[in-house]
Amino acid sequence: MKCESCNEREATIHISKGNGLEKTEKFLCEQCANASFENDFSYPDDTFNIQKLLQSLSQHPSMHQSKQQPRQCSTCGSTINTIVHMGKFGCPDCYDTFEEQVPDIVSRVQAHQSEHVGKVPMKSRAHLQTKRKIEALKERLAQLVETQEFEEAVVVRDEIRALEQAGDSNGV
Amino acid sequence: MEYSHISPWMHNVEELPVEMSTRVRLARNISNLPFPHMMNDDAQLKPVLDRLDDTLTGYRRIQMDTLQFEDKALMVEKHLISPLFTKRGLLSYINEEESISIMVNEEDHLRIQTMGVGMSLMSLYNKANEIDDEIESEVGYAFDDQYGYLTACPTNIGTGLRASVMLHLPAMTFGSRIQTLAANLSRFGFTLRGIYGEGSIPLGHIYQLSNQLTLGQTEEEIISNLDELKERIVEEEIEMRSQFKSEHLIEVKDSVYRSYGILKHAFKLPLKEAAKCLSDIKLGIDLELIEHEDFQFQKWIQLIQPAFIKMRLNEQNKEIASLERAVEEERAALMRQLLGGE
Repeated sequence: MKCESCNEREATIHISKGNGLEKTEKFLCEQCANASFENDFSYPDDTFNIQKLLQSLSQHPSMHQSKQQPRQCSTCGSTINTIVHMGKFGCPDCYDTFEEQVPDIVSRVQAHQSEHVGKVPMKSRAHLQTKRKIEALKERLAQLVETQEFEEAVVVRDEIRALEQAGDSNGV
Repeated sequence: MEYSHISPWMHNVEELPVEMSTRVRLARNISNLPFPHMMNDDAQLKPVLDRLDDTLTGYRRIQMDTLQFEDKALMVEKHLISPLFTKRGLLSYINEEESISIMVNEEDHLRIQTMGVGMSLMSLYNKANEIDDEIESEVGYAFDDQYGYLTACPTNIGTGLRASVMLHLPAMTFGSRIQTLAANLSRFGFTLRGIYGEGSIPLGHIYQLSNQLTLGQTEEEIISNLDELKERIVEEEIEMRSQFKSEHLIEVKDSVYRSYGILKHAFKLPLKEAAKCLSDIKLGIDLELIEHEDFQFQKWIQLIQPAFIKMRLNEQNKEIASLERAVEEERAALMRQLLGGE
């Protein structure tokens, strides 16, 4: 018997659906059965549909910059349109590329939360610490300059440079 | 009775009233790689897979394109993989107990999942966290100082953590309490939905409670909030059950024993009916209206699912053309056998 869907391959799978009153039966090949299986097993509607949400966001004025060329992610090629269409970002770098839109999107799907406070990967822990140390040193440097303690300031400046260079060479 | 195809971790699980199995999953991605739906060539993941193979020793490595349709369906019914994963998943790593599964190229590059019964969500999280640390020491995760772990869908960013617990809520279903509860929960960033199938009344009155928000809270906070909510729902369900019992004893008893009769004596059982009957009997046992030694709700709900039944049929080399009928007959035969009928 030929597959009822593609009419090409041999039907090897029998699918029957019913609710007790009505019943539909199909004889399909494996490829077509797989396709129908995907539909059957898709999750019931999420309480909020990310794609719809993103679509409504795309109507938002902030999404319509009057610039000539729509911005494109250099890593994956996504544009804000493809992201809206898929309901997903294309790659981790999209979060940087579309930094203007990300806060709005994140805020809406995460109930106005905007800051991660959970686990930090080991590799980023050192990086985060260095980053915070550099920030603190920069503040100190500004103070020293203001109070004209230049000798001390040079020391702090070198310290900042050393930390920044170490960070770069570690690829953070 | 042999249950060789049920996941080993499901053997000898404790049957509690209301609370069933729990699950935790972490979504992780590799930096500098497109997310799976944008990945044209899986070879881009090759270096990552090599690292995973070295790290995840002791796991069964299952290449998805080597599996038949029915094998994948069975894995879905065991909750080892997601329905989405059956279409475009690359491979999964599964431990011997089948309580841990790591999916490669689901919606995110990695989904680390741990499951258990009678285990606290926190201990499941700790296990997932441990695996996450091991993997992280080998691959570079996409992580952002502000947004945490970056994921394809912004609904998962931050912790990438989804914790869930399955709950058997027949009384709240009959009492039409579910909808208002679900609406209230969503205001607090949690969801409650049927785990099997669609429609207004989920199969076997089984629901899944899970967190919806993944950002702005620590993993511990998400889990302890979920735990607290779970306790409150369990209490409410138990209260409604005893109210049902005291106000409608005959009706409750009647439906419990009817369902028992059906499962013990029917020769043809559609999935929906079998699940409803199992749910009624479980309720009857919890309310001490009926006794049945070795009644295993969680395990049996899984055993009656289509792919499980089809697997039993395959063992007996049934004709494929009359499959649906054969499945209903086999399901009934299984139930009669388990309940000691003809």
